[in-house]
Amino acid sequence: MFRRLTIFFCLLTFFIYGGLIASLFYFYSGGLFLGILTSDRLLFSLRLSVITATIVSIVSLFFAIPAAYGLSRYRFFGRQLIDTMLELPMIISPVALGALILISLNTPFGTFIQKRGIEIIFTFYGILVAQFVTTLGITTRLIKTVMDEIPVRYEEAAKTLGASPLKVFFTITLPLSKKGIIASGILTWAKALGEFGATITVAGSMAMKTETLPIAIFMRLAGADIEGAAVHVLILIGIGILILYGVRVFGLWRGYT
Amino acid sequence: MPRIELRNISKFVLKNLNLTVEEGEIVALIGPNGAGKSTLLNIIAGLIDYEGEVYFDGVNMNRTPPHRRGVGYLFQDLALFPHLNVFDNISYGLKIKRVDGAIREKRVNEMIDALRIGKLKDRYPANLSGGEKQRVAIARTLAPFYNIVLLDEPTASLDGQTGKYLRFELRSLLKKLGITAILVTHDLMGAEEIADRIAIIHQGRVEQIGRPEDIFFNPASQAVKEFTGTPNILNCESCLVLTSGLVETVCNGMKIILPYEGASIKKIAIPPHDIYISDKKPPGPALNRYTGEIFEIIPIGSISRIGVLVGGNRLYAEMLTDTVDEMGLKLGQSVHVIVKLRRLKHFEAE
Repeated sequence: MFRRLTIFFCLLTFFIYGGLIASLFYFYSGGLFLGILTSDRLLFSLRLSVITATIVSIVSLFFAIPAAYGLSRYRFFGRQLIDTMLELPMIISPVALGALILISLNTPFGTFIQKRGIEIIFTFYGILVAQFVTTLGITTRLIKTVMDEIPVRYEEAAKTLGASPLKVFFTITLPLSKKGIIASGILTWAKALGEFGATITVAGSMAMKTETLPIAIFMRLAGADIEGAAVHVLILIGIGILILYGVRVFGLWRGYT
Repeated sequence: MPRIELRNISKFVLKNLNLTVEEGEIVALIGPNGAGKSTLLNIIAGLIDYEGEVYFDGVNMNRTPPHRRGVGYLFQDLALFPHLNVFDNISYGLKIKRVDGAIREKRVNEMIDALRIGKLKDRYPANLSGGEKQRVAIARTLAPFYNIVLLDEPTASLDGQTGKYLRFELRSLLKKLGITAILVTHDLMGAEEIADRIAIIHQGRVEQIGRPEDIFFNPASQAVKEFTGTPNILNCESCLVLTSGLVETVCNGMKIILPYEGASIKKIAIPPHDIYISDKKPPGPALNRYTGEIFEIIPIGSISRIGVLVGGNRLYAEMLTDTVDEMGLKLGQSVHVIVKLRRLKHFEAE
């Protein structure tokens, strides 16, 4: 009985998401679909989203890998606070994060940066900043989990074999966490690609300028363009499925241990 | 000058521990679980902070990080790098030290030959058996030309015979390479086979350090006696070499047959758990079997110590109290005494 009940809830979960996806096809119309798919506006949104998500993923990984290693391996003052802070993007609304960015840009430091020629508000850089702030904590948390699972003993063994802490990191920790880092990178990319709240707050929703895929969906819906929104959503779902497959392929980071 | 000197080491259970190990010596640290043996190895390797001083050849190592200490460490869990094959695991330390390619390959192959693991070169740790992993880990520890190595339970994961064989191989390899070694074990017999000296660690201190015979025949304290199992010590009056690779000794009227190892035997230690008592005559040859009379029965929880008078010797055996009750052993009862041949410890006198 209990087994049947649990399987019923599994199927129910599937039908909730499956039903939502299937409803998109209610509005499917072959010619219109192709027309929207090949439109300059959609291609711009797609290109902009892919470019910003890729840049942000690389930068996030650059920050997250050393930070995650530090949090995983060393005990230092403020470690717990930093560890808690990583969850900030997960628990507060992306719009609030975007508001935080806007507020910080109005401080003397923010004004200084903007006066140096780096315009952030309502620009391409605004998208980057919004996506970066939203993903950094999550990326660091994911990579820290990967590194926590690698026994410290391997690193100790490498040290006794003459490896400095830097060499230990590059010859032991990094190769052992490679798959996990790639999987984290893919998830970061997906998170950045789907980011909406912080991006629209900082970069706005200007067509052919700061219109990422999620913002395009919002704008199409705002203009009662259901077919257009459905095409965008389908593209996002297609990318999402590819990402989940990628994570499954690269996500086997427990394989060594 | 001693190769390794530990002065007033304190950490966790360790309290002002002092230990000196001479060049080329193999010292076994023995003690109960939680005595701080592995902690001591981590301290020597520089992997954990500690109070006190560690000297190698008279040089204070306290501020030297582990990668500059030049100490090989065989971890109990071996810690073979899972992403490297056997060859790369063994050559890791040499690569890190930027040893020339040809010399590196020669050294790795020497280690592979010495430990007879040539067939495993291309395999990954996940595809090795416990014994194979142990050999690869030993090769990796010894490969980087270290003069000092630390071995944490080097044969603990192996079965009795394989472990014994590897201990002999390891000892011969360490001696051949002139390496000073400290090893940790909880197996006294295993320590005796590999070490020059044994240090008994008790309550965070070295309770006694000495050759295995010193530990057995002159235990410094009750703790050491308890750890060695308070063996029965017999003084032997005569020693006759038999043709079958055995030697017959007579100890206070008791004839004991032992494997002959080319030396005259003056003392024998028999652990109480290696003496069996039976109320019925056991089948088989009458080798190291005697009759005696029970003069004492001391129940100590689930174990009982049975004192038996054999010839002029007062021997103590250890048996399960339940077995003693089932057999209905009583004071003054005549019983058969069987001494396990392979577990006898014998030492030639000075």
